[in-house]
Amino acid sequence: MEILDQILPAVQKPARYAGGEWNSVRKDWDGADVRLAFAYPDVYEVGMSHLGLHILYSIVNARPGALMERVFAPWPDMAEKMKGHGLPLFTLESRRPVKDFDILAFTLQYEMSFSNILYMLDLAGIPLESRRREGRPLVIAGGPCAFNPEPLAEIIDLFVIGEGEEAIDEFLDVFLDGRKRGLTKKEFLLEVSGVRGVYVPSFYRPCLREDGSPGGVEPVLNGAPRRVIKRLVGDLDQAPFPVKPVVPSTEAVHDRIMLEVFRGCTRGCRFCQAGMIYRPVRERKAETVLRQADELVRNTGCDEISLTSLSTSDYTPVRRVVSSILDKHACRGVGVSLPSLRADGFSIELAKEVQRVRRSSLTFAPEAGTQRLRDVINKGVTEEDLIETAEAAFKEGWHSLKLYFMIGLPTETDDDLDGIAALARKVLEAGRRAGAQRGRLKVTVSASSFVPKAHTPFQWESQAGMEELKRKQAYLSGRLKERGIVFNYHDPGLSFIEAAFARGDRRLNGVLIRAFESGCKFDGWTEHFDLSRWLEAFRSAGLDPGMYAYRRYCYDDVLPWDHIDAGVSKEFLVNEHRLAMAGVTTGDCRTGSCRGCGLCSALEVRPVCAGR
Amino acid sequence: MSKYRIMYAKAGPARYLSHLDLLRAFERAARRAGLPLAFTRGYNPHPKISFAAPLGVGTAGEREFADLELAADILPERVAGDLSGAMPEGLRVIEVRKVPEQSPPLMSAVGRATYRAVAKLKQPADSDWLAGRIKDFLSLPEILVERKNKAGEKKLFDIKPGIFSVSGRIDGDIIVVEAELKAGSSGNVRFEEVLSSLEKNTGLSVLSRFSLCRTGLYRAGDGDKKKLMW
Repeated sequence: MEILDQILPAVQKPARYAGGEWNSVRKDWDGADVRLAFAYPDVYEVGMSHLGLHILYSIVNARPGALMERVFAPWPDMAEKMKGHGLPLFTLESRRPVKDFDILAFTLQYEMSFSNILYMLDLAGIPLESRRREGRPLVIAGGPCAFNPEPLAEIIDLFVIGEGEEAIDEFLDVFLDGRKRGLTKKEFLLEVSGVRGVYVPSFYRPCLREDGSPGGVEPVLNGAPRRVIKRLVGDLDQAPFPVKPVVPSTEAVHDRIMLEVFRGCTRGCRFCQAGMIYRPVRERKAETVLRQADELVRNTGCDEISLTSLSTSDYTPVRRVVSSILDKHACRGVGVSLPSLRADGFSIELAKEVQRVRRSSLTFAPEAGTQRLRDVINKGVTEEDLIETAEAAFKEGWHSLKLYFMIGLPTETDDDLDGIAALARKVLEAGRRAGAQRGRLKVTVSASSFVPKAHTPFQWESQAGMEELKRKQAYLSGRLKERGIVFNYHDPGLSFIEAAFARGDRRLNGVLIRAFESGCKFDGWTEHFDLSRWLEAFRSAGLDPGMYAYRRYCYDDVLPWDHIDAGVSKEFLVNEHRLAMAGVTTGDCRTGSCRGCGLCSALEVRPVCAGR
Repeated sequence: MSKYRIMYAKAGPARYLSHLDLLRAFERAARRAGLPLAFTRGYNPHPKISFAAPLGVGTAGEREFADLELAADILPERVAGDLSGAMPEGLRVIEVRKVPEQSPPLMSAVGRATYRAVAKLKQPADSDWLAGRIKDFLSLPEILVERKNKAGEKKLFDIKPGIFSVSGRIDGDIIVVEAELKAGSSGNVRFEEVLSSLEKNTGLSVLSRFSLCRTGLYRAGDGDKKKLMW
């Protein structure tokens, strides 16, 4: 493509758009019956760090007659050049326009990437709203944010709820069959709405409460299921795993091999959506993981393997897997990394093992500053554990630690903020005691703002007001002014809009379109996020983001995402919320008895643990 | 420990790799090829790979050079063969030779480079006209370009001493400019600087951006005789 060669030398990081990466798959266009474009609504470096992309890419491209190519959101400098040269959004593999594909599949990883979906559709020359599209491509979406699909219900043709790798083949069968029979878009959608996990929003309508606040969603078409139940991989050990992932040609955010050791987490943190929607825990066998580690090193040449999951220190055979990988690959300069660690002695033993090749940073997530609040959110970390762990880490030669907290949690008071400051000081103190070098000793405290998420025990809760969050941040900042402590926090305006979308309803489609038209894009990037544009978009749609973010629901309110079934029962969520308010914790079903979340019986699965 | 010098080409999508991307690409290719990389010591070991001279992002290279150290003694032909099969699209291994372990860093040995630029002309012209314009250009007493110094201030700099030759031809509406310029750590002249000065001084105007290629990298201090980086 000659135009591209004219453009690329003039944009930042042109390797983002050049393609040709190792392991990228270029299948014969004319020989394919169905062509999919996987769209990640953020830049290349972010999207290439997403394991789901690599999983689906390898499954679809392994299927005869199907091809999948990748497309990411071009940075604004590139988008401008593309528009200037009349170049529509194209995929990296064949450099064909996205609108030539049969299916355009977006992944929804975080709410603040929604504006980029519109940005990409627009660059592709595809109408933004589902009802304005008749032919190609079918626009579909999946990922965690699909568990509250309503804010995108007028834009996306259909959602796949749950684990896409489990649904994709069946979905493509129905698609191909429908095309063979010459079905119209509506006929196809009707047929595919019968596939488990598929949600076709145009067959449903939202209900409003009398006061105009969001209500439930119900089918308007006979045959559309009342509740859409998530898809789930039963046997993760034997599920296809991409052992030949595309190796990014320019540094990705997570520029390393991603090797998933288990899915799901039943620690039960009450704010955590991933901990609810990815249940149950399914560990993969050590032998499987080790075999794939070998293949991945051979196939990618990367120098680091990240053992990924929601809480890798909990992986039953983690110790053996880490040692075996290092025994085999350390001589080639290949190290292992763990995303974040549980605060206990075991984790330090693990971290010591991990640093045989490369010393990585240590991150712990106590999430709250006092034991009282940690009990409320069900985060099973004690102060003693954390301080002991930190001291052990400093003794082992680490000189900087990261601590993740959340502010604005339900029931939080200034005492809890004082607790964060005290905890950070104690960790710093532990570092001094352990003899960490004074000049290098560093404790980084990151405070994100609590966002109530759908399908969690805190889904009924209100977010703290923007002004209140600012006050909390200033309060903490004042108490963390000490040599050796670095304090980071998030833009509260961004968290406010995120909260509105996280529990949003169908009316937000209009807001999203207005926001996009007023220039919103890359809203997860502080440098691009502009609160005033969002507030204006809400205002012009006659809506108030506070109605979504600050709304405190009752247990028997019907919620805009109640028709999406994540497998965990509402009774369990209610009970967990009650226990939270009483400050009572709930244990992990993996190590103790069943906690009654209802998922295993509803979806006929069981937690799977690997042998030590 | 063994040291290998690799002559390679950088084209296609690989033109857009930055210096750091290229380093990673070589490291990963070597590991995929099963070559035993040698590493620096310390908490954060790095593979011992170094390049002769950074190449601007977007510029192709026909005869580029890199040094790679391995922990074992392997026949250079095998290194070349194994590496060839593991390079991403656009990176091509041309030849590998073994060099003495103590040989000075590639970076310090580079003296000059040759380049080629191709573009479409706005208005038709012929080769004789171009030859005249280039001759005028080269007989200017000095060729000043603006560069930023370390403090970020713009300073005028005379690149003429670093221009060894410039030639060109026109074929229909396609113009080709070739040059031999000083390269390396001191007095390096960028081809883009030469092209934009040429455009400015001769009234030459091209329709599209020049597509650039570095055609060879040569040793310093061999008089007029060019010697590749072996």
